Amino acid sequence: MDKMVLNLGPQHPSTHGVLRLILELDGEIITSVEPEVGYLHRSLEKMAESKSYIQYLPMVDRVDYLSGFFYSYAFCNAYETLNHIQVPEYANYIRVMFMELNRLASHLLWLGTYLLDLGAISPMFYTFREREDVVTYFEKVTGQRLMYNYFVFGGVRHCDIYLDEALRIVDNIYNKIDEYEDIITENPIFLSRTKDIGIISKQKALDWGLTGPNLRASGILQDYRSIMPIYDDLEFDIILSSEGDCYSRYIVRIYEMRESVYIIKQCIEYLQNINLSNVPLNNFYHKQKQHEGEIYSFVEAPRGLTMCYLKSVGEDTPYRVKWRTGSYYSTQILKDILKGVYLSDVMSIYGSLDVVLPEVDR
Amino acid sequence: MVKKIYLSIKAILKGHFTVLKHLFRNSVTLEYPEVHPFLNHYFRGRHVLEGCRGCGLCKRVCPSDAIMIEKNDNNYLNKYVIDYSKCIFCGNCMFYCPTHSMKMSNDYELAKTNKSQLLTDIYYKGV
Repeated sequence: MDKMVLNLGPQHPSTHGVLRLILELDGEIITSVEPEVGYLHRSLEKMAESKSYIQYLPMVDRVDYLSGFFYSYAFCNAYETLNHIQVPEYANYIRVMFMELNRLASHLLWLGTYLLDLGAISPMFYTFREREDVVTYFEKVTGQRLMYNYFVFGGVRHCDIYLDEALRIVDNIYNKIDEYEDIITENPIFLSRTKDIGIISKQKALDWGLTGPNLRASGILQDYRSIMPIYDDLEFDIILSSEGDCYSRYIVRIYEMRESVYIIKQCIEYLQNINLSNVPLNNFYHKQKQHEGEIYSFVEAPRGLTMCYLKSVGEDTPYRVKWRTGSYYSTQILKDILKGVYLSDVMSIYGSLDVVLPEVDR
Repeated sequence: MVKKIYLSIKAILKGHFTVLKHLFRNSVTLEYPEVHPFLNHYFRGRHVLEGCRGCGLCKRVCPSDAIMIEKNDNNYLNKYVIDYSKCIFCGNCMFYCPTHSMKMSNDYELAKTNKSQLLTDIYYKGV
């Protein structure tokens, strides 16, 4: 029997960007998949070689527009380690608080759009309502909703953060997560579209280099937050699920949001006890010679492990910047796990991996 | 089988009840042209320049090369043009200004009919 070649994308509403999947179909069953990336390439790595460190800092948020703080942190951390800049303790707590809020916003957007891919419309309005609170809070503190430019080398831009409002938002989200679970978790339509579909075994997940919630849903205990120094004084649990199907990836993310709320509350408790009003603005312009050397910094982003390689030869501009992002590895595993599944399950599996295409292409 | 059907109907009814609760909640949408959102003073909108000496540090830290500074024969500032078709509103020019003369206002409605209107001279020359 003849096989049919089908193009999925590049412009498809549920690919969160532009991803082209070349599917070879035998009837309704997929026999081979070829993901094609590169439609959103903005040369963010090459751009670093022609811009100074301060000029490149606003660009870093644009690697992944849904979780810009993580990328800012990775780049700032690399620069600070290379140049031996001390970051004060309160700044580390503010950084953790903002990163976890950003993780909440990112997971909420994933939840809404994933349910939209599966055909449920109303959860999207609810998750976007809560995400709007978080994003408005970011706008109030940093000045913009997505491209923050708030973390700087040696700390944060300013310490005028509205802690009461953050506490109110976080409490509200914690209550609303229960409501989402009421609607989604036991729904028979959702269960039949996600249970036992797109199973990634432990070995397969490790072989293809998955990280983050996708790896933890396969039952591997790996969370880089537990070895990051800025998370040392904070208590949190690592969420694990053993099945490795779409449903367990959903469960891991839902419970991770609750853990994020728990971490943010600890940060707010610490920050409320210290006086932040006399802290000066942190806008210094580096005129000294940059240190030579190379460094590899990491952070646990919502879509997996994010790493930033930075090499400096003592000039005002970086010699080389390289990003390792989680979405790239989630995209290439599609080649393996989409083989033998039905065409109607493609978006269910692909959506559960939480891929954001700008992060894949950089 | 019967248990499964019972559980399914129970879960769907529970979900419907949760959705139904939203009928009695306040609406969260903003009717935009009539109602404007609240913006804090940290918001990064259109630039405002006052008391600039023309040192050019903002030009050096601008990531998208959107600033053009023109001086006259006496080395005084004559023109300070921002190209809003290039500007990404990162706020670097404001953060690194040594005299704090660059501010960013809450004005965010920047749509123009002509591209040349986006080249804006923001230098305040006084009365």
